[in-house]
Amino acid sequence: MTAGIRRYRTVITAVALAVLVGSLVVTPSAAPAAETPRRGGVLLAVIGADAPSLDPHQESTFATLQMVAPLYNLLIQIDPYNYPKVIGDLATEWKISPDGLTYTFKIRQGVKFHDGSPLTAADIKASYDKLVFPPQGTRSIRKIAYSAVTSIDAPDPATVVFKLKFPSASLLDNLASPWNVIYPKKYLDKDPNYFMKNAVGTGPFKFKNYTRGATFEGERNPDYHVKDRPYLNGYKFFISPETSVRAAAVRSGRAYIEFRDLPNSEVGAIKKQLGDKIVVQQTPMVGQFGIGMNNTVKPFTDVRVRKAMTLGFDRYTAGKVLYPLTGLRDVGPLIRPGTEWALPQAELEKLPGFWRDAEKSRVEARRLLAEAGYPNGFKVVMKNRNVKLPYQDLAVFVIQEWRKIGVEVENRPLETATWFNDLREGNFEMMINPTVEFMDDPDQFLNRYTKGAPQNYTRISDPAVDDLFARQARALDPVERKKLAHAFQKRVLENAYYMPGLWWTRNVVHWAKVKNYVAPPSHYTNQKLQDVWLSED
Amino acid sequence: MRIYIAKRLLLIVPTLLGAATLVFLIMRVIPGDVALLIIGGDAGHVDPRQLAAMRERLGLDQPLLVQFGTWLWGVLRFDFGTSLWTGQPVVEELLIRLPLSLELAVLATLVSVVIAIPLGMLAAVRQDTWVDYVIRVVSIGGLAIPGFWVGILCILGLVIFFGWGPPLEFTPPWVDPWANLSQLIWPVLTVGYRYSAVTTRMTRSTLLEVMREDYIRTAWAKGLAERAIVIRHALKNSMLPVITLIGTEFAFLIGGLVVTETVFTLNGVGRFVVDAVAHRDYPVVQALIFLIAFSFVIVNLLVDLTYAWFDPRIRYR
Amino acid sequence: MAPRLTVAKTVVKFVRMKPLGAAGAAIILAMMVVAASTQVLAPYDPYHADYGVQFARPSAEHWFGTDEFGRDLMSRIIYGARIALFVGFTASFAGCTIGALLGVTSAYLGGKVDLFLERLMDILLAFPQLILALAIASILGPAIQNVVIAISIPIIPRAARVVRSTALSVKENVYVEAVQALGASRRRVVLQHILPNVMAPYIIILTAQLGAAILAEAALSYLGLGAAEPTPSWGLMLSGSALSYAEKAPWIPIFPGVAISLGVFGFNLFGDSLRDALDPKLRGR
Repeated sequence: MTAGIRRYRTVITAVALAVLVGSLVVTPSAAPAAETPRRGGVLLAVIGADAPSLDPHQESTFATLQMVAPLYNLLIQIDPYNYPKVIGDLATEWKISPDGLTYTFKIRQGVKFHDGSPLTAADIKASYDKLVFPPQGTRSIRKIAYSAVTSIDAPDPATVVFKLKFPSASLLDNLASPWNVIYPKKYLDKDPNYFMKNAVGTGPFKFKNYTRGATFEGERNPDYHVKDRPYLNGYKFFISPETSVRAAAVRSGRAYIEFRDLPNSEVGAIKKQLGDKIVVQQTPMVGQFGIGMNNTVKPFTDVRVRKAMTLGFDRYTAGKVLYPLTGLRDVGPLIRPGTEWALPQAELEKLPGFWRDAEKSRVEARRLLAEAGYPNGFKVVMKNRNVKLPYQDLAVFVIQEWRKIGVEVENRPLETATWFNDLREGNFEMMINPTVEFMDDPDQFLNRYTKGAPQNYTRISDPAVDDLFARQARALDPVERKKLAHAFQKRVLENAYYMPGLWWTRNVVHWAKVKNYVAPPSHYTNQKLQDVWLSED
Repeated sequence: MRIYIAKRLLLIVPTLLGAATLVFLIMRVIPGDVALLIIGGDAGHVDPRQLAAMRERLGLDQPLLVQFGTWLWGVLRFDFGTSLWTGQPVVEELLIRLPLSLELAVLATLVSVVIAIPLGMLAAVRQDTWVDYVIRVVSIGGLAIPGFWVGILCILGLVIFFGWGPPLEFTPPWVDPWANLSQLIWPVLTVGYRYSAVTTRMTRSTLLEVMREDYIRTAWAKGLAERAIVIRHALKNSMLPVITLIGTEFAFLIGGLVVTETVFTLNGVGRFVVDAVAHRDYPVVQALIFLIAFSFVIVNLLVDLTYAWFDPRIRYR
Repeated sequence: MAPRLTVAKTVVKFVRMKPLGAAGAAIILAMMVVAASTQVLAPYDPYHADYGVQFARPSAEHWFGTDEFGRDLMSRIIYGARIALFVGFTASFAGCTIGALLGVTSAYLGGKVDLFLERLMDILLAFPQLILALAIASILGPAIQNVVIAISIPIIPRAARVVRSTALSVKENVYVEAVQALGASRRRVVLQHILPNVMAPYIIILTAQLGAAILAEAALSYLGLGAAEPTPSWGLMLSGSALSYAEKAPWIPIFPGVAISLGVFGFNLFGDSLRDALDPKLRGR
């Protein structure tokens, strides 16, 4: 070979080598390519209850909300991927006046209802009129949250104005309530109860079919105002009240998702059998289970007795022991621990019932009981709802706890209807009851400890508490509000007006093929399914 | 004979009236308020004024007698009112759920008869032999096992070992027979097995009774050829009581439906009753119980009439 | 006159002639023994939750394992026998006795009383047993005493119907008519003639309902209307999440289910054989 060709060969080899090495270096980096959503498929879900009616304004059960939420939009909503941030839905932007008495919303244009008619501010006004000033013959369950609102106006088709008579710190959050779906005005004018049996909205899905007690179906809205959405062709709920049957349905693949909660034991079994095909999203829930003592009934009229009871309840052990059974886990005050309004843990642990040392608590409890005149304890009946999880399990635990301080508590489970009746009428000495809301809002959670509030089942009556509540409700400055909310909780817990128990966690179980669904803490929000897709049918 | 029929038919009226009254009273005596349940829902926000308005709308604030009268008047015109829980006509709610329960009942009866009659015959003919014992033990065993336990173990077994869950939706058999059957087969077997246990024992004891008749015993004693004729004759005579007994065991079936439909979460009439009682949905419960009682009474009447037709001694009681 | 049989000889005869019935009786006796000696037999307090040993497998410390609260399952099953017997016997006995009394009264007094009672029984009979029990249990609320009441009420008309028809046929019996014509007092007729003859159907329906009562309690507990936590009732042990735990801890739903099945099985076997023995038409060859 001549020297020229040899050199040529070397160059080619060098270049080839360089290219090879270069290609290795330039090979795709660690970041994986984003998955592209796939259009198509019907989302099959199981739900544990049937809805009394289809109008979320008038109902209180998750069953109604989960089934119809995909058919509607809200004025403003909680960010599905960023709880609890409030973002717009039908509203594109909004302004709050400096004095906090005027809220102005700009409405998205070009949105159509499922029947083809355009959405305007008038529809929003009509829907909110129904919510805030319910006409005769309808009910608005959460009306009290809007007691500050004096009027709702639609000065032009793209603007809605709320006028208040006093500033309300929680109003924006309450307006983002998932229950406040927007209806077309023309049907409301004809019959405010129209939407109990019908569904016409602007949502990503249209109403398809409802067989009571059995199934609820929606299909894609081809004219949805968000481009390319929804990805799904439709959704279908199977109504199945038995928990183990629902778990079996998810496990066998007949359903792809259960939106509310499946108990840890079922989840463990499903995960073991299906491994990677199943995703379990565990999130803390916006609700707690606690025990109320009737403040107007002896011996709970005496603060010492109440304190003794809460001291006798070792919450930290309860969290460890009850969690695998019931999902009750976190020890916290009257608002969910970890949120900005909750009394911080450090301060909480100084209050009776939250001391870390259980034995010390029990000693103090017995001392208080003796001081109050019950050196040998006493007997009392605790009413309960006859549902196993978590009512009965919690009862078994606390009964054993209180036996240690000499208090004999008899568990009396009642059928749901009876339980609710007795709860409302104050017909109990002690009562297990939950506090659950759609958002970690101080108004929503603290209202029930004020005198005269509809959920003040334990008949608490403390003017200091009422005062603190009123002040925090109007405190527009978050720092000021936080201080007041903390003071409120401290006062209620110091006096043991109510015994919060444990905060709930929930398991949302779904097949891995269900994409882009993030389970928020509240099982009422993020049910619109706008961005959910199935990676395979 | 006609007088007998007429008398019986006439007697149905006060019975049904009494049943209706009893249902009404029971439902009103139970503590709990449907309006409260609807408004309270999960979270328990209840505005007392809204509660009062709702009760008024549902007619719950009227005096009991008026409520009963209104309901009764409706029933006489076949109007069972509207469900307090959903606001839909009760009849409509019922019709959604009836096909499933009917199919379940019919199939379960079929299964039970197919199992029970041959087994009962065998046990009677071979009384006190090991065949008899085995059959009796098996059928008594079937009766002893709680139905809902078997049901859930069934589901669990299917899920754990085969990864198979029953279909969640009722498809009528003429739309998709395979889907229909795969939803119903396990509940049918669960109910049918227990029902067959009852029927087996009935068949056996009835056949035994018939075989004790003197003429049968004589023919039996006479020998083999005679025996064949005798068995056929005995069977013929005992089929009637057995069939009528299947009718009276209808009660057992209804009870079985309630539990089975709950366990397998079938959207049938049985589960509907349980839900309606839990919701205090008075019109639904009243209508359902009334209809069940009505079908009961009719079935019993048919049974008695068939008996009376074939056994003249009973006719003139 | 046939020679008087001693108790022992009767028992032996029963066992030989009706081995199935004897087996049933043995099961019932075993249950009663267990129920009577709970203190001795049960190793733990059935109510005590030991949170260190939740879901423990059957082992030397816990023969039947523990439940979700760490309560010893065997102790709970043993105490449960007491409750099962209580429910079975009380509901059946109360229902059948009241029913029998009504039936005899109705048959004997006849006329308007009979008509009224028969209508009443008809009305109650229009309801399937479980549904009536369900409705009554809803009124009374979940508690073991209430379950007993709820179960016994539907039994009343069924017992009344059976006893009434037997009493009627006795009353119309020629022998009884003759005795009455000779001036026997009402009381004598009832006590000496009617009652002994209705004993057979009474016992038959009593034993038939024993097992059914236990099953009814289980069903009602399953539907949430039966016994309340922490009562160690077998039916309650089967309800709710016992079945959710079946995979992780199969002993939790299996043992109570077996216990119920065994108990009801025993009652049914015994009742069946008793019926065969008492019903003169069915006595074996």
